[in-house]
This record gives sequence, structure tokens and C-alpha cells, in this order.
Amino acid sequence: MAYPFSDFKYSDGLTVVGISFCTAIVCEAISWVLIYRTNSYKNLRSSIDKASKKLETMKTDSNKINIKKSKTKKIDRVETSLKESSRDLSLFKFKSGGVVALVLFVVFGLLNSLFEGKVVAKLPFKPFGLIMKMSHRGLQGNDPTDCSMAFLYFLCSISIRTNLQKFLGFAPPRGAGAGAGLFPMPDPKTS
Amino acid sequence: MKEGKSVKLNHQQPHQNGHLSPSKFAKLFDPEASWDKDQLGDVLHWIRQVLGLACGFLWGSIPLVGGIWFILFLALSTGIIYSYYAVILKVDEEEFGGHGALLQEGLFASITLFLLSWILVYSLAHF
Repeated sequence: MAYPFSDFKYSDGLTVVGISFCTAIVCEAISWVLIYRTNSYKNLRSSIDKASKKLETMKTDSNKINIKKSKTKKIDRVETSLKESSRDLSLFKFKSGGVVALVLFVVFGLLNSLFEGKVVAKLPFKPFGLIMKMSHRGLQGNDPTDCSMAFLYFLCSISIRTNLQKFLGFAPPRGAGAGAGLFPMPDPKTS
Repeated sequence: MKEGKSVKLNHQQPHQNGHLSPSKFAKLFDPEASWDKDQLGDVLHWIRQVLGLACGFLWGSIPLVGGIWFILFLALSTGIIYSYYAVILKVDEEEFGGHGALLQEGLFASITLFLLSWILVYSLAHF
């Protein structure tokens, strides 16, 4: 191919990154069409945000003042609401997960057919274990610093998609995660 | 419909639209400013990503070779994040889920971004 970076020995690495970037945009576009633009998602997200912030406020207040039974019941109610909304949100996202996974799989297959057995980059370190299996996948030769398409694609998938979601505001609300971890169910009942 | 929010010391909306104004940049270094969880999480996340990208470019350009430099990147970026929220902003980490939650913000994405930029710059610049 005659394109600007063809002089570099490992310009294929840039090709992999470029394709991964386009794939990430396509996946987010799919997610937007199937999930984020719908009213039910917006309502769910809004209720999760409200519930998690309300919960934080109530937790803070309950630390300052003596705990009352009515307070505990309110906290229980908000927690239940948060859990239900989080579960609904997970089910909602699962719908588009299949489509996105299919796109990622197809793109991986495409890249695999283009770059199988080809060294697309050179690692500045010696990988070991699972990382080496991934980075040396499908390659001939004994040099552990040879990098296959699969490893580069994996790094791109995590870094580009995560940051793209963050940038576009599609990242999952923290309340959904915090609701599960920071407020375990047994606490309110024992108090 | 937009949800109403309780009155805060900070009148800025958590999710700003458009570019950051100078006063909002000033908040990034103001120990007196109040932060909500999402805001601080977002700031720490993006600082992590910038550090990952910058260190990857630097390590790859010099070049620094060997697994030790990966560990050094982890230590450096974690130290910077900690210094930022504990020393510059002086936030009470317990209000935000503790040290663990703050230090983990954006960590995995940062690691993959660092490795990606380190590998690419090293490969393109030195072969």
C-alpha cells in the first residue's frame, strides 16, 4: 500500500489502531440508537442518579444524628429502588451488547485475516504468561517482543472504547456501581 | 425533564457543556472548592489518561525498554493522582469511597492506553 506511513516497518500497528477507533465509534453509535436515545433509558438513569445521591445524603445525615428507625426504613427504601433501577439498566444494556459484540467479533475476524502471522509492532518489554500467549498469537519465530494484531486490538478495545464512552457521556452512572458496593444489604438491618 | 438539585456551594453543573472557562480551571487547584463524586471521578479519570498517553510517548521515544518501566509508570501515575487529591485538593477521601476508589478511577483504561502508546511509538520510531 502506498500511504503516508508506509515507510515505517510497523505501520500496520497504526492500521490496527485506526480500524479499532472506527469500530469504537460504530459501536457507540449502535449503543446510542438502541439505548441512550430512548426515553426509558433516560428515565432509568435519572432515577439511579437521584437515588444514589439521596442515599449519600441520608448516609451522611445519619452519621451526624442518632439513628432513628424511620430513617433506617427510608434508607432501605431508597436502596431497594436503586437496586431495582440498576438491574433494569443492566438488562437494558444487555440488549445492545449482542450487537456490539457481533461488530467487535467481525472486525477482529477482518483484522485477523489481514494480519495473521504478521508482526504489527515491537514490544518494549518481554511479555510472559497469558500476555505472551496473546501478544504472540499466530506468530512464527521465537522473539517474545514480536507483537501480534490480537494484543494490539485488545489494548485498543479497552483504552479507546472506555475513553470514548467517558467522553461522550455514555459511561455507566457511578451510583449504579456504588449502590452495589458501598451499601451492602446487611448493614441497615443490623443497625 | 431535568432533575432539580439541592443548593450547593458550587453552582456549576456537574456535567459541563462546552469548553472549560478559566474559573473552572482554577477550581482544579482550589482546596476550598467542593466536589461531588462524579466530578472528582471524571477529573481523576482524565488525569490518569493524560499521564498514560504522555508517559507512553516519552518511554517510547527515548526509548525506555524493559518491564521495570511499566512498574515505574504505575508508581508515578498513582503517586501523582494521590498527590493531586490529597495534597492539592485536600479532599476527605472517605466522602468519595476511600483511597481505593479514587486511585482506581480510570486505572485500567490508563494502563492499556499507556501500553498502546508506548508500543506504537517504540515500534514506529525505532525500527
